[in-house]
Amino acid sequence: MRPVKILHLYPDRMSIYGDYGNIISLIKRMEWRNIKHEYHSLSIGDKFDQEYDIIFMGGGQDKGQVYVAQDLQLQSAKIHEHFNLNKPILTICGGYQLFGRYFITSDLSELPGIGIFDAVTRATNTRMIGNILIESDKFGHLVGFENHSGATQLSGTEKPLGKVIKGFGNNADSKNEGVLSKNAIGTYLHGSFLPKNPVVSDYIIEQAVRIQAPEYKLDELDDSLEKLAFDRAKKRPQ
Amino acid sequence: MKRRIAIYSAKLAKIASKLSGKGGTALPGLVADRIDPDLLRKLTKDNFPKGIVVVTGTNGKTTVSSMLSGILNTNNISHLRNSAGSNMKRGIISTLLEDIDKNGNSSKEMAIFEVDEAYVPIVCPIIKPKIILVTNLFRDQLDRYGELDKIADSFKQTFDGLDADIVLNADDPLVSSLSQDNKTTFFGISDYIGEKIVHDHTADSVFDIKSGEKLQYIQRYYGHIGIYRSKNGQVVRPKPQVEVVKMNNLTKEFSDIDVKITTEDKKMNLRLPIPGVYNIYNALASIAVADSLSLPSKKTLQSLLNTSAAFGRAEDIRYRNLNFKLLLVKNPTGFNQVIQTFLKPKPQNNTLLIVINDKIADGRDVSWLWDVAIEDISSYSSNIVCSGTRAYDMALRLKYAGINSYKIEIDISKALDLICNNKNTKNEVYVLPTYTAMLELRTKLTNQSNLNNLSTLEKVKKS
Repeated sequence: MRPVKILHLYPDRMSIYGDYGNIISLIKRMEWRNIKHEYHSLSIGDKFDQEYDIIFMGGGQDKGQVYVAQDLQLQSAKIHEHFNLNKPILTICGGYQLFGRYFITSDLSELPGIGIFDAVTRATNTRMIGNILIESDKFGHLVGFENHSGATQLSGTEKPLGKVIKGFGNNADSKNEGVLSKNAIGTYLHGSFLPKNPVVSDYIIEQAVRIQAPEYKLDELDDSLEKLAFDRAKKRPQ
Repeated sequence: MKRRIAIYSAKLAKIASKLSGKGGTALPGLVADRIDPDLLRKLTKDNFPKGIVVVTGTNGKTTVSSMLSGILNTNNISHLRNSAGSNMKRGIISTLLEDIDKNGNSSKEMAIFEVDEAYVPIVCPIIKPKIILVTNLFRDQLDRYGELDKIADSFKQTFDGLDADIVLNADDPLVSSLSQDNKTTFFGISDYIGEKIVHDHTADSVFDIKSGEKLQYIQRYYGHIGIYRSKNGQVVRPKPQVEVVKMNNLTKEFSDIDVKITTEDKKMNLRLPIPGVYNIYNALASIAVADSLSLPSKKTLQSLLNTSAAFGRAEDIRYRNLNFKLLLVKNPTGFNQVIQTFLKPKPQNNTLLIVINDKIADGRDVSWLWDVAIEDISSYSSNIVCSGTRAYDMALRLKYAGINSYKIEIDISKALDLICNNKNTKNEVYVLPTYTAMLELRTKLTNQSNLNNLSTLEKVKKS
């Protein structure tokens, strides 16, 4: 089997809230199962010139987001191709916003997204900060910490990643959090997201390996520490 | 008349806070500020004839303030200083209320205020400092401060509206971009022999704030600190007026450096008695402020020879026959510096106690632990105990860095017992606490220690 290839989009501009933790989770959980892997990153001006198995994009500062938005347009076709082949994608916070259709910033300018998700985001004056707990049909309870002022609205046909139990989620009103479309996830949860939610990490890895081996099932790992950290985070006040 | 009412209300607030028995340091300030929102201006306007120095930035505020205080003492300049826990507006008002007489006058010649980054735009236009120092800007508690670029923008706007001298870190591109041209003094390190962080995830601010252009590093020390320039040469690391021209020796106890100060055009040797590259920056910052105040450099360096660790920063406390070294960790950069300075020069048989709390003063978001270069100590095989409200998050970070020799005990007292009762605990215990954990630990360690170093300890104030 060839190595599973992870593509990290714009890590130099879009990795603000411990986003490397997500990469560390993916890599370690593959390593522990003897799954070969390669880590690649793409910065502004780089060419998206090969096929990948996992695409990841984290959050950034507003300015960083403006700079990457343009470049991301150039990668849009390749990312759509990846998405349409049901390959896994994880986008967090600013990355999630730019994988939607557009983002209206606080000065009312429109930042174009790449429309993987049928979602739009508008800057608001409310900073949605705090511990968050959601319930996902696919993954069960997920924990994280959110920190965003952009409010995201999903179109009627998009399914959220989960329902908010504690916290804000996509916006202050809908009680929805994130999005799950084919094998692409968008979410506001960091903390970091994957280390304390290994079920999502494993789902992404499994989907990635299945690109080569459709029947592949992951070996179980001892996740007792992950579970303890998860339970603790779940109990922290919003 | 207004001023008298203000003072009167302030005094009333002080009494009120004493009666309430809460004893929080910021409470009188909070009450007084509510009664008279103009109080801070009134309390500073005609006081401190030699000026107010504001110290801000992510890391180093407390240490630099302490160094500056020592320098002013050496020069016999009386001054007022706030504590780390009182660095927001109401805390500064409280500090002033403690100092002034009933007419609102202070007897002090100067004031040194360390100011929380978020309060710089609020406090500085009111108190009109003579000098503002920015130590550095790193990612820190983003749940509280918002984003780094926004903090830098707010600083820039604040400085534009003031007539203050600005002292800036030349080696931090985000900080040096705040330059006010001829009113600015830069400090920096031009010769580096420190160790490199292998797994450095703290890649923030490597882009020019104005053009967004990626900066190239000729030398990168840690995080985004180093000697940089943009490709087109429009952004260049400024030449420091207070500069380390040679690093002679870095040890776990001290740093030996040669410093050049442009105004005096001479090179001087300094053996700084506290370790770490970050403390060299702190010393340079205080030298630069002293230089802006036209204080003689000889006295400045003489004062720095006697620097001792600030509250919880590499502070040694003896407890149950063990030596506990407190190393405050607040953000990835600070944590990485502790790793590089104390943990990587591999200690033998030492014990590590990491206490991660997620209270407001710590930053409630613990994502930052994943940006710490823990992998740099993965070969470190000593006993590690994780404690605090987020002990499991810390343990998880260790697990994913390939470290499995940890124990977990959320309760700090029990974690201390675990360490003291372990026969394998020898020599030093390195304690890495977040802010509220540090306060809690200090109280526990000093209450039962044999108190032989109590004279050097500040009174613990819970904020």
